[in-house]
Parts: sequence; structure tokens; C-alpha cells
Amino acid sequence: MPQQITISVNGSRHRVQVPADRMLVDVLRDDLGLTGTKEACSVGVCGVCTVLLDGEMVSSCLVFAIQADGREVTTIEGLGDPDHLSPLQRAFIENGGFQCGICTPGQIVAATALLTEHPAPSDDEIREWMTGNLCRCTGYYQILRSIKAAAS
Amino acid sequence: MVHTTVGQPVGQVAGPLKVTGRATYTADIRLPNMAYGAVVRSTLPHARIVSIDTSRALAMPGVLAVITGKDIPPGRVGRRIRDLPILAVDVVRFVGERVAAVVAEDQATAEAAALAVEVEYEELPAALTMRDALAPGAPILHPDLASYDGLPGAPPQQSNVLSRRTYGYGDVDEGFRQADVIIQRRYTVPRQHQGYLEPHACLVSTAPDGTAEVWLTNKTPFQAQEQAAKALGIPKEWLKVHVTPIGGDFGGKGSVMDVPVAYHLSKACGRPVRMVMSYVEEFTAAASRHAAQITMKTGVKRDGTIVAHQVRALFDSGAYGAFKPSPTLELMGNTRLGGAYRMENVAVESLIVYTNTFPAGHMRAPGLPQAIFALESQLDALARTIEMDPVEFRRRNLIREGEATPAGEQWVQVRAIETLEAAARAAGWGTPLPENVGRGVAVSEHGAGAGASTVQAGLDERGFYLRTGAPDTGTGSHTIMQQVAAETLGVPHHAIRIETSHTLAFPFDFGVGGSRVTHVYGRAALAAAASLRDTILQRAAAAFDLPTDQLGWEGGQLRRPDGRLVDPFTVIGPVEVEETYDSAGAPNVTGFCAQVAEVRVDPETGKVEVLRIVSAHDTGQVINPIGHEGQIAGGVIQGLGYALMEELPVVDGYVATQSFAEYKIPAMGDIPELEIVLLPEPTGPGPFAAKSIGETPNVPTAAAIANAVEDAVGVRIVDLPITAEKVFRALQRKHEHGHHHH
Repeated sequence: MPQQITISVNGSRHRVQVPADRMLVDVLRDDLGLTGTKEACSVGVCGVCTVLLDGEMVSSCLVFAIQADGREVTTIEGLGDPDHLSPLQRAFIENGGFQCGICTPGQIVAATALLTEHPAPSDDEIREWMTGNLCRCTGYYQILRSIKAAAS
Repeated sequence: MVHTTVGQPVGQVAGPLKVTGRATYTADIRLPNMAYGAVVRSTLPHARIVSIDTSRALAMPGVLAVITGKDIPPGRVGRRIRDLPILAVDVVRFVGERVAAVVAEDQATAEAAALAVEVEYEELPAALTMRDALAPGAPILHPDLASYDGLPGAPPQQSNVLSRRTYGYGDVDEGFRQADVIIQRRYTVPRQHQGYLEPHACLVSTAPDGTAEVWLTNKTPFQAQEQAAKALGIPKEWLKVHVTPIGGDFGGKGSVMDVPVAYHLSKACGRPVRMVMSYVEEFTAAASRHAAQITMKTGVKRDGTIVAHQVRALFDSGAYGAFKPSPTLELMGNTRLGGAYRMENVAVESLIVYTNTFPAGHMRAPGLPQAIFALESQLDALARTIEMDPVEFRRRNLIREGEATPAGEQWVQVRAIETLEAAARAAGWGTPLPENVGRGVAVSEHGAGAGASTVQAGLDERGFYLRTGAPDTGTGSHTIMQQVAAETLGVPHHAIRIETSHTLAFPFDFGVGGSRVTHVYGRAALAAAASLRDTILQRAAAAFDLPTDQLGWEGGQLRRPDGRLVDPFTVIGPVEVEETYDSAGAPNVTGFCAQVAEVRVDPETGKVEVLRIVSAHDTGQVINPIGHEGQIAGGVIQGLGYALMEELPVVDGYVATQSFAEYKIPAMGDIPELEIVLLPEPTGPGPFAAKSIGETPNVPTAAAIANAVEDAVGVRIVDLPITAEKVFRALQRKHEHGHHHH
């Protein structure tokens, strides 16, 4: 049976009818058209679909949409736009923190959560926090550098 | 020569879109009234299809159509040889082959309906390994091979062999008689998935007349247009293929994948159809790097002279050759089975073999990591056996200017030894190391890319622009074109916008691949920008009624004889030019790469920890240091994954690692210290003396790590990946062996 849920995404409230087994990533991408959140592994290990749920980092492919009912979701679209880049977004461009860009929304959402918790993280803290966000292009060095640049 | 934009760390032109989630990839596109497709895949490695019952699937609410191989005109797909049916007809040849397809109102319904399609099979004997496939009496996968389109010539007369190549010179038997030491070993390397984090996707919207608009994850849209049209049996002009941003390629995004199926589904339901492969489908039925078995027998003299090198290399094609783009159906790595070393007698045989496993394709430097792992391991073992330093052994044997490789390639500006020495120096080669820590070295090279491509350059009311038919796969290729043109026009890079064109409004474009982008598109962008400047100057001079040499060009503006600067658009209006660059006639150069890995091996568990990698490159002029470094770092870490963790094992025909939970690729926590060394005084055929960088850095890494493991603890691992279990068992064997002696 579809259920009606209300979720707040990047500050806007949305009422959506969802089947109980619909994943948050599908609601974001398909129902709300917020395609900035990407999907790759679909089993919660690559970090590509990372969003914030009440400020906590989650894999949106592992969260049922009904679990987000009444809660606040932040996606990459809520962190800045091309004319108003966040410091992290700017640092990723200036330091080569991405190449193809497909894991980048997840990387930047995860790094945003990191800098909220640890405003001046050490290299080891960055490595540990970000190790759940896979990237096949960069080899990670420039992602690490981007996060450090944004933190300083 | 001093540059203003070339060589500067310029951020990617698509950066603001990518970092904000606004870049639109294929799977992000939604058309009005769009429907969703899913594929029914074979569950057996080799079987006859007895019957397919689609009734249960068709009866499900929301299902629009179900098609099987018998419902569509017969058609086979392939980048060169067309041997892969759009949907299987009568026979399936691997677990994961497309048998039927479903289109529905939403993705969940399509997937559920695909599971409801019932297929009855009659199982056939399968050739699951290359050994099975080459054995006398083996089941023949393609009895009609000779009738397929796209074969380079008559197929080899050996069962299940798709292609065979031999090369060499001299007399290896005589060479082995002169050798002081001979080593013979068999190296095995697994399938490696490209691991891009954007699974294959496509969107096909057909019109009633059979024409269609296509969006797909493909780095060669114009070739995809031709391949899809051939498979569908329609004129290629019927397909308008769009250029989309690519979410990672690494050689894997050169095929049309689900496009022909989506075309038929779209025709069947009269709506646009989107298909996105799941990552299970990626790991089990995409186009991963070929597994290989490479047997090498090599003889040397005590002074290090390589007197004989005999190779038999078997590459596992899986059930189809459709994902191999080379006209000869070979992998380029075939030609590197003797590397760039001086060898007195050589005999190489290389086969590509059909097996009842999922088809292999191209991945970053196709065939090279396989060949170089075997070769550089073999040479290292020889150096150690004759007690010669591995760097010194290579220094003595690497070719110099004027010499040819064992495969007969000859380059100008050969800087093999300089590159090796640069890596050794930066790595502190020869300095003492703690116990259980070792260093290993390996060398590779890659050409600077080749072919022809066209770039358009123009000026309109919005400013300067370039237009290309090639997507940016993430490497920053559009930014390189932007920088090269900006340098030529004397404007900042951001003053030039980049446009892409679909396949119906632009000359045929070869697309991305073979490390050709910086060289070929860079030179085309350079030529187009120069032609644009000259055309503007000529037209403006005519408009001003001045001789052309009385007009200056400064910062993208015209300087009149009175010193005033004038915006050219206000003088001549819009202008557009087109230039094609063809690398034919460019000097034949290669770019060497030497890597030194430093590892620590835990003797209790066998676990290998890579502490440091030095990667030295004879790379030519760097156009964009951000992108250049990114290519090296990303390549090295893919090489590290190949060395230590990545493997798609096929067990009884089924891929055992079906998700990123089982197929491990390096994460941020896995990366070692990395030092990049670039040779000074760049040479190269690309713009401003650039070469290529995309395909070298991932090649020597696995061999460098394997060689470092032997240096650290004295065991040689000859089959990748180098897992803790393999090292542990090798250490145990060494220990037992040692006890027998004492």
C-alpha cells in the first residue's frame, strides 16, 4: 500500500505517495527530480548516493523513503549552485577533487558533514571519514587536498 | 616559450555544474511519457533456448511490452566483429546474456516483470576456461564464426580462437643454448572491471518512421551511431546520438550496450525508453578487462644480455568479441610482450580465445597491464637470479634511439633510460630498507595517440566558442581544448565556451580513446583557433579597408592602426571556422613511465602494504597540471587495485563478485604516499609539445608491487591479485623448503 510521507528537502517541504519499499534515492531522483544525487552500487558501499538526513550522513539507496517521513534531507543541490558555490565546491574545482563528477555530489555531501563535525580535520581523520566514498578517477589525493583547502 | 594559459592549473570547464549536482548524465534525463526497460538474462553458461513464456510478465499491471530474440529482426552488435545478438536467438553463451526485455511504466515494475519471464533451457556442455576451450573436442561456441561481419580475415582454424598473432625474429632455440640462465613461468591475471561509478545507461526515443533520438554513456558517439545502426539494420542517419557527460570511462564506455534493445522496446510501446544497468549487471555482463595467462621463457647471459624470449599469451575473450574495437581484434598489449627491451631472439604467440563466460572488453591501456605484469616480473626474476641490480639490468637492456622493440616499433626521442633513472633517483633506489620492506621497479610506455578529428571555432554575440563531437569522459579534455584555444587567441580560458554537437550536425568524429585526446583534439583546437583569428583579421581588414598587416590582434580584440582596440564581433558579426587535424605524418613518439613501489609485507599474515610509489613520466608539455596529476594519481591507484585486490572470479560460469561489497577497489584509506616525477624539456607531437598521459600510469604498478614483494620477503607471486593468502602460502612454502635444506 502506498503511504503518504512529508519530507523536507533542502528546506522545501514535499508530500509524496510512496510504496513501503521505495528507497529515498528513488524519491529524490524520480519523484522530486533532484538528480544531483547519483546511484551506483545500490547496496550502500560506494557512497555515491550520500545525502544528509537530519544532518547525519546516510546512503540514500539504503534508506526507505518512509524512514525519512517528517525529517530533513540535504542533497548536493542544497549546498550551493553554480553561481553560489560553497567553499568545498570551489575547492574541489580548484584542486581537481573530481574528474568525471559522478561520485562528486556524494563526496561533497560527505565532506560537508565532516567539516561540520571536525572543522580542521587531520589527514587521518579525512581518510577515515571519506573512505566510504569511492572514486575511480582521482586516486583520492586531490580530493584530500580539496577538503584540506576548504577547511583552512 | 612562455605560455599564459597552457600549463596553468585551470579548473574543469564543467566544474561548477559537476560540483553542484547540475551536470546532466544520461541516467538523469527524463523525457515526457518515458517508460523504463529491464533485461532478462541467461542463467546458464551455454544452453539451447527451448521456450520463452512471457505471458505472466505481460499480464502484470504497468507492463507495456515484452520482447524476445524472435520478436525482433535478427541483428548482431559489435564494435568491430558483430558476433553478439541483440537478444539471444536459440542459444545462450554466457550467464548474463540478454534473452528478453521488458518495458513498463516504472523501473520497479520492469524489474519485477523481467523476473516473471520464464525461460526453459536445454543445457549444453560449456567451455568455462581457456584450457577447456582449447582442448580437443571442446564445445565450439561459434560454429558460424567465418560468416560474421567484421572479421579482419579468415578466422584461425583452431577451435574457439577468435584471433591469433605471432611475431618475432632470430632463433629462440639457438638463443636458449647461449643462455647462462633460463626462467620459464606462467603468469595469470584476472578480469578487472573499469569500476566507473556511472553504470551504463541509455535513453532511446523512436518516431513512427523508425528514426530515433539516442542518449547514451558512450565516449565515441559517432561510432556508437554506426554500431547501433548496423545492429538494427537501419541507415545511420536515422539515429541522432547526443554527446553526454560520461561518469567515468577507463576504456569501458565504448559500446552501445542496451541501445538496440531500448530501440526495439521504444518501438514496441511507442514511448521513449530509458535503461540503466544495475551494478550487478555491470560486474557480470559489461565489458571488463581480459583475463590472461601469459607463459614466458626467457634466457639471459651473466652480463644481462637477453638472448631469447619466448611467449605464449592467452587472452580470455569470454563468449563474444563484440567489445573489441581494434580492426585486428587484438589487444594493443600484444605488442608489448617483449616491452621496449633489446632482445636477440624473440618468438611471441598470442591468442584471443572464446569461452562461455561474460565478454571482455577494453580497459585503460588494453592488454598492457597484463603483458607488462608478466614481462616486468619475468625480467626482475632474471635480474635477481644473475645477481644484477634490477634497475641496472633494465638500464642495460632498454632500447635507445634508433633501435626497435621486439614487436618492431621504432620511435624518435626515446627517453626510456632517463625516465627509469628519474624514478630510481626519486625513490632512493639502493638505499637500505628495514626488514620486510622492499622496493620494486617496472617500466612501460604508451604512444601519444593518433587519428583525425575536427573542431569548429567561432565568434558570436556571446563570445568565442569551440564545438566538438567528443564528450569529456572526465579527463578534462574539454578544458584542454579550451586552454589551447585560449592561448592561441590570447584570451583567458573562461572566455571560450565549449559546445558539443550530436551526430547529425557535425562531421564524423572518432571520439575518445587510445590516449588521443590531448594530441589530436588539442591540435585540432589549436588549428581552429588560429584559423578563427586569421579569418577575423582578414574580414575586419576588408571591413576597415586596411591591409591585413595593419591590424593587430590583442587579447581577442582588434588593434587598429590608431591604437584603438575594437571588439571584432561589432565589426564583422558572427564567424565560424572548422579545422581537422590528422596525426598522419606526426613523428612517432612514445612516453615512458617508470615506477618504483615500496612495500612492507607482514610475515605473519602475508598482508602487503604499499608505503610509497614513485611514478616518473616522459610526458611532454603539461597543458593542465590539475588534470595531468589526476590522470597519474588515478591510474596508479587503479594499478594498485589490480595488483592487490581486484578480481572478477568466474566459478562454474557465474561471477563470484557481484557488488562493490565483494569486488574491492581502493578507497581513500588505501592510498600510499605518491611522488610524481616529470622529465624536463618536453617533446611531443601534441599542442605545445604535449604527449599523452591517460593510459600509462596504471600499467607498470602491479609489476612494481610484485617485484617489491619479492625484494621484501623473497617470494614471487605470479598470479594477480597479490592477496595476503597467496603471500602467506608462498612464505610457508619457502619456509618448509628452507627447513629441508638445513
